[in-house]
Amino acid sequence: MGFFNSGLFWFIEGILACLAVRGIKIWAEDRGLILRWWKWLYVFAWFTLAGFTLAFIGTSLGENEPIAALRGGILFGIITIILGVGGWRWLTLSKRKD
Amino acid sequence: MEKDKTKTTFSRRSFLKATGATSAVLGLGGLGFFGYQAGQDPSSYTGWKTFEGGDQNFPRHRFVVDKPPHEKVGPTRRVDPRSEIVFSRLPTLLLHWQKNPTPESLPQYLQDYYREHPEDLELDLYNVRELRPKLMADQQKYGRAFILAEAWSEAMGAVTPPQITEPPETADFPPRRSYFREEVPRPYKLKSPEKTSRLIKKITHELGATLVGIARLNPDWVFQYPIPGRGLDPSRPLEIPSHWEYAIVVGTPMSWDPMYANPNYGTSEDAYSISRIIAYRLAAFIKKLGYAARPHTPGYSYDLMVPPIMIDAGLGEQARSSIVITPELGPNFRAAVVTTNIPLKPDKPIKFGVESFCKTCKICAEQCPSGAITKGDKVVVRGYRKWQLHAAKCYNFWNSNLGNMGCRICISVCPYTRKANWLHRAALHLSSNDPTGLTHGALTKLQKIFYPGPNPQDYYIPSLGGKNASYRRPPWWLRTEDFIEFE
Repeated sequence: MGFFNSGLFWFIEGILACLAVRGIKIWAEDRGLILRWWKWLYVFAWFTLAGFTLAFIGTSLGENEPIAALRGGILFGIITIILGVGGWRWLTLSKRKD
Repeated sequence: MEKDKTKTTFSRRSFLKATGATSAVLGLGGLGFFGYQAGQDPSSYTGWKTFEGGDQNFPRHRFVVDKPPHEKVGPTRRVDPRSEIVFSRLPTLLLHWQKNPTPESLPQYLQDYYREHPEDLELDLYNVRELRPKLMADQQKYGRAFILAEAWSEAMGAVTPPQITEPPETADFPPRRSYFREEVPRPYKLKSPEKTSRLIKKITHELGATLVGIARLNPDWVFQYPIPGRGLDPSRPLEIPSHWEYAIVVGTPMSWDPMYANPNYGTSEDAYSISRIIAYRLAAFIKKLGYAARPHTPGYSYDLMVPPIMIDAGLGEQARSSIVITPELGPNFRAAVVTTNIPLKPDKPIKFGVESFCKTCKICAEQCPSGAITKGDKVVVRGYRKWQLHAAKCYNFWNSNLGNMGCRICISVCPYTRKANWLHRAALHLSSNDPTGLTHGALTKLQKIFYPGPNPQDYYIPSLGGKNASYRRPPWWLRTEDFIEFE
């Protein structure tokens, strides 16, 4: 049981998530983007996928399974990148017309 | 003044955006570190952290079924260990064959068995004539790599309870007199089977068991003949004593890191020893309450078959490899049984998707170097349809690999043999809760992509065309070459 498995770590993760959401909201406002709830859902889903990918790589390395880390990193990483680029295009399409 | 105010507002928003971006990066990075720690964390090796039952934590109540998932398809027959269990069969073969190398020299029951299973006679003879000399030669040439593994196994198996020397009518019951009391102890009146079951499970966990379950003993699982060293005459059929009403099953895991380095570095002795000691202690506890109790313990000191009793007791399901798979430990455990007449409430069996998973998976069959695990369907054995291990092939591989006795590759490679961290627990719950079986194929594919094993032939000794390979590298504390200087 180390820091990254502790309750404190998840508390800090929660704070970081709040700050990230706040940052995205301000960034969207400044760019004149309208983020409806389904777009927020997409953003959350993408971050979950990205987090899963990194956690998978870390877990596999921790388990001394470098092949799993490499192959999983490539497989999930490519999916994350594709969905990230696609999502970015989709999110930035609907600019507020004012 | 107006200009300054605008500038301040802009900076604040920029700051929040920068903080948000930094937080996102730190948060995602943190998950990577979380994963690394979860992967390394030794406390996620189920069974090696708590003596209080905390590791038996699968929500079994959601998967219970009324009847055990044994497929009875005809008249049943109890197993005859003298011929059907290779540990008994091979010594008898050796004994008689050395004197007179003809099938006619064998006891009638063995002649009958080999007539029905001619392939097993060939395999058994191959074992004693060819495998063992090859192994001896390879042991001298390559065996020193496994000195620490063998020492570890020796240490774990060093504590063994004495053999049972009296028949169940006396050995299973409390001693007739003690140092302090002359009278015969009577069974204490217990309040209810439910309460007693709860107590017995708590005690068993306190004794160190990772898993404990209770079943009503099905006579089909008791041997036809007793094996030597159990206080019974091995030449006479075993009559099931009436006090073998219930079976309490205990299970403990084999040490995880060596287990992944099977077949050479892992050992069964660690879990054998712990399960054995727990069973003897549990029997002593029950006897002290005035009831009968008899331990049936590994390596080979049983009057019954353990796997089907584990299934009856709701601890797991039978796998393709013929071993039981439990939700908490996968197949990585060794079990012992205590038969008793203390009134108990049996547990219900469970079905959590193993059968469906094993139908699609087949990794153990593909990785098994001896071909003992079938890639095909179930067959009827003694009146039950089941996946049947070809024990003679399996045992021949035991006798053709260096390091510790046994193999256990099927345990190492099984997708259920994984640490209890977020990743593998998620996979377990996904497969257990999928009634369609659709995820089973996907999880099997991922298992093969992420956790490949060596070529099965490489597990063999060099004189049989192998490379002494192990599924994974041994842990640092079993790498002999790092600690012992050889000239």
